[in-house]
Amino acid sequence: MSTETLTAGRHRRAPLWGGRFQELGMLLPSLALIAAFLLLPFLSSFRIALTNERLIPRPVPARFVGLDNFQKVLTDHDFWQALWNVARFTVMVLPVQCGFALAIALLLNQKLPFRNFFRGLFFLPAITSMVVVCVIWATLFQYPTGPFNQILGVVSFGMAQPIDWLGDPAWSMPAIVLLSAWQAYGFQMIVYLAGLQGISDSLYEAASLDGANRWQKFWHVTMPSLRQTHVFVLIITTIQAFKLFTQVNILTQGGPRGTTETLVHYMFSAGFVNQRLGLASAVAIILFFIVLAVSLVQRLVVRDRK
Amino acid sequence: MAFHLSKRLLSLFCAGTMLAGALTAAEAETLKLMFQGDAYEIKNITATAKKFEAANPGVTVELINTPHDGYNEKIGAAVSAKALPDVIELDGPFLANYVWSGLLQPIEGLVDQAIIDDMTPSNVAQGTYPIDKKLYAIGLTDSTVVMYGSRKQLTELGIRIPTSVDDAWTKDEFQAALEKLSTAPGVKWPLDLFRSYGTKSEWITYGYEPLLVSMGCDVIDRISWKAEGMLDGATCVEAAKMMQDWVKKGWVVPQSAGGNQFYAAGRPAALAWGGHWFYAEAEAQMGDDVVVMPLPKFGEKGASPNATWIYAISKDSANPQLAGKFLSFMLQDPDYRAGYRDHAGFPGLKSFAAASPLYAPGGAMAVAFEQAGKTAVPRPPHPAYPTITLAFQQAMTNIFDGADAQQELTKAAKEIDADIEDNDGYPPFGEAK
Amino acid sequence: MTVISEPLSPPRRTASEPRDIGGIIKLVAVSIIALVIVSPLIVLVVGSLKADRFQILADMGTFRAFWVENPTLQNFRDMWVFSGALPFGRYLLNSLVILFCTVIGGVFLNSMAAFVLAWGRLPGRAVILAALVALYIVPQESIVLPLLTIINRIGLSDSFAAQILPFMASPLYIFLIYQFFIQIPRDIYDAATVDGAGPFRIYWSVFLPISLPVLATVAILLGIETWNQYLWPLMVTQTDYARPISVGIASFFGTGTVYWNNAMAASVMMMIPVLIFYLAFQRWFVSSFISSAVKG
Repeated sequence: MSTETLTAGRHRRAPLWGGRFQELGMLLPSLALIAAFLLLPFLSSFRIALTNERLIPRPVPARFVGLDNFQKVLTDHDFWQALWNVARFTVMVLPVQCGFALAIALLLNQKLPFRNFFRGLFFLPAITSMVVVCVIWATLFQYPTGPFNQILGVVSFGMAQPIDWLGDPAWSMPAIVLLSAWQAYGFQMIVYLAGLQGISDSLYEAASLDGANRWQKFWHVTMPSLRQTHVFVLIITTIQAFKLFTQVNILTQGGPRGTTETLVHYMFSAGFVNQRLGLASAVAIILFFIVLAVSLVQRLVVRDRK
Repeated sequence: MAFHLSKRLLSLFCAGTMLAGALTAAEAETLKLMFQGDAYEIKNITATAKKFEAANPGVTVELINTPHDGYNEKIGAAVSAKALPDVIELDGPFLANYVWSGLLQPIEGLVDQAIIDDMTPSNVAQGTYPIDKKLYAIGLTDSTVVMYGSRKQLTELGIRIPTSVDDAWTKDEFQAALEKLSTAPGVKWPLDLFRSYGTKSEWITYGYEPLLVSMGCDVIDRISWKAEGMLDGATCVEAAKMMQDWVKKGWVVPQSAGGNQFYAAGRPAALAWGGHWFYAEAEAQMGDDVVVMPLPKFGEKGASPNATWIYAISKDSANPQLAGKFLSFMLQDPDYRAGYRDHAGFPGLKSFAAASPLYAPGGAMAVAFEQAGKTAVPRPPHPAYPTITLAFQQAMTNIFDGADAQQELTKAAKEIDADIEDNDGYPPFGEAK
Repeated sequence: MTVISEPLSPPRRTASEPRDIGGIIKLVAVSIIALVIVSPLIVLVVGSLKADRFQILADMGTFRAFWVENPTLQNFRDMWVFSGALPFGRYLLNSLVILFCTVIGGVFLNSMAAFVLAWGRLPGRAVILAALVALYIVPQESIVLPLLTIINRIGLSDSFAAQILPFMASPLYIFLIYQFFIQIPRDIYDAATVDGAGPFRIYWSVFLPISLPVLATVAILLGIETWNQYLWPLMVTQTDYARPISVGIASFFGTGTVYWNNAMAASVMMMIPVLIFYLAFQRWFVSSFISSAVKG
């Protein structure tokens, strides 16, 4: 980007400032909308976090409580458990979801009969609303006679005991991971498909001439060409993972024994159910800085590998 | 600036839709009513509103159908938008919170006195604010929880089937029945407590608090309005441990097994501790083998839950008289009543009970109605209720999942008391009586 | 083995039989994977064809959830029977209006902003970009209530605008398009500036045409997100005027009773328009636009 000054001199008909005004006009609508409907509400949560404001206005006026809300959150065992759970979820869901998405994208990027039909089929989970997904998967997970447990019984010749997927503290999180990856992999798949489309055929042709086999082409052409896509997918999936909420809210409400409690669900309980807006805002702010830190670390790590 | 921008973009992108959605501006008299309900209830109230409009020329009833999910938050949103409708349907136990927050006005003098006099004691209890003892809400229906079983199965095993609240199972009798059922052929779980409803639905407080009350304790002391010393006291801990014990013995249907185990193929669950609405489901699969029994008596006296969605008039209503007139009209409308009767609605008015064969003496659910009259205990009518119920539900869920009962109940009691303290005790609650 | 056979590509065309067998194996494998992946959705479709909600409940949690004995379209017909009280036609129309306004507006606004951030000369672009990425972290659940206050204050409560404006411009999609734009070779941009075109002309007539893959991706993702929005429209719509179908369906999940038959039929109906929408847009990134643009 440091070469811009060179190209700027080449402008002939469009004067420098005219160009800049145009650029401003192109940038401002988005920025204004984001400022009004994302930044402003977010900033106001900083103010709310310092008060004991309630969802429904009360006869007792809200008052300034300083950093009380932050102290309450940071000394609450449930908050730390939620943080730990979200970290576990992220570590588990990242390889499953992204790996599967990449595999399917590679499959669907090949010459294949009915390719568009399959692309539609593989994308179906992503267009299903999460509420509906949870309803279906609750049936699949049912204990002890649900389809998953029946399959388990058949595969193990009746040796394995049925698993209470959503009710057993050891299995609840893996179950949520599986469901989440199934519902959301379509997003990563589509981003990978777009990325694969961006790889020039000439690179593969050149590799073929060098005598590379399929596996070598994958490692030496496809993967390096997808670097930007990988970075994007990694960061986005991590952020999405930290926002885990809907499926937990519907299926387990954080249980059993807090093993699926997440930060957003913790915040939701405080703000919506308990009506403590101040406390919920404090959680939102802490969550923001945690994810910001994680993203920054990821960026640094990825940059180092360049 | 964002405002102008948004207006312009609005006209740019959505001009076409304006045509489709132009609301007719009725300048005469408009009554706004916020409600929720199943599809048949929506149909029901829509028909009643049309009739009311026909009977009162110049009056428009604007029905604001609001999905059940997030209802409480939507009331908060309406308050902050200064757009609270004239009539609000609300969930009974949240009434104290709304009255304390200054959202509602008493309905006596607005709704026909004859209808108020027709209310069952339980219905009056759920609509009354304990501080001023005034009535703030009314409804056609109420609710309760009963014990369902299979007549055939219980008879075969020689387990006594109580037919009245007065001869309800005692604690020992009930646990003996569970024990016996646990070894009966085909029974996977002796008892379905409907854990599948989870903590999102209010079920745990609604369905299980009566057990605590019957044992002789409660989720909060209803005089001092303190949870510590009550919810974490020995009696409540004993009650929680007893329920935990049922789970440990494998007597209770797990949360992830679904809410249909009582009537699913093979009848895996023998007894069901379920709401009156469950009768329709069970009856559809099992016919008249379903037997309805009162909840067991765990201590000196029995207890059962009550309350459902009821109607109140908002304090800022421009026309409370009209709101009262509409409610009177609605509660007397024969078609409105018929709609609820056909869906096994639990009567909250005496005259409606008399016209509901299901709940009348000799009806399959007669015991349920008798129970509501004799043992109904409203959930704590206190403005901290939203916190009380969340804390209790989380504690009970953890206890069922194996956590230490004393520890969980202590934590819940502390949370409840901290919330009350945070609101300066919700004056005048907790002040000297 | 393949290392040797690959360079000998010309004879491959004549030796068609092995390729066909490979193709069939591949097709069978993909079909099996696809079947496994969509099998949970079969539960939904099958359920929507069962008329009796008690039967659906009784079948749940067993393999009978995958099977229907007497299929009926009664649940779909019910949609229109309910229409007096629950206007599903209206909800569907509302959802479509919100979808198209958000997607069309969103694709243009986000791509314009991304263009300026990637290739513009305005100072502070890097800072803006970093701030946008950081803002993506804010979960929607955490700003719902303050946002509601703002919407109420500017008088947009219960409107279409309240469901469109906050979601058109999005840090995520600006960033996604930005990622694509910066990969476009410098020559293309330079060639356009030599012709004397201003930023908007370059964006409009040079960058947009070669960016269809990423724009289609954004349209699809934004479209699905908009279509399935639930918490926000639940909070911001007070009447049926602008209420989308996702919230309309919630009426089938009542207080004590869930009308599974109706809920499942409504869910299936809700999936159809967005599937069509996806199929329409995904055709745009089938062929590789960038490489052809570079070569040409």
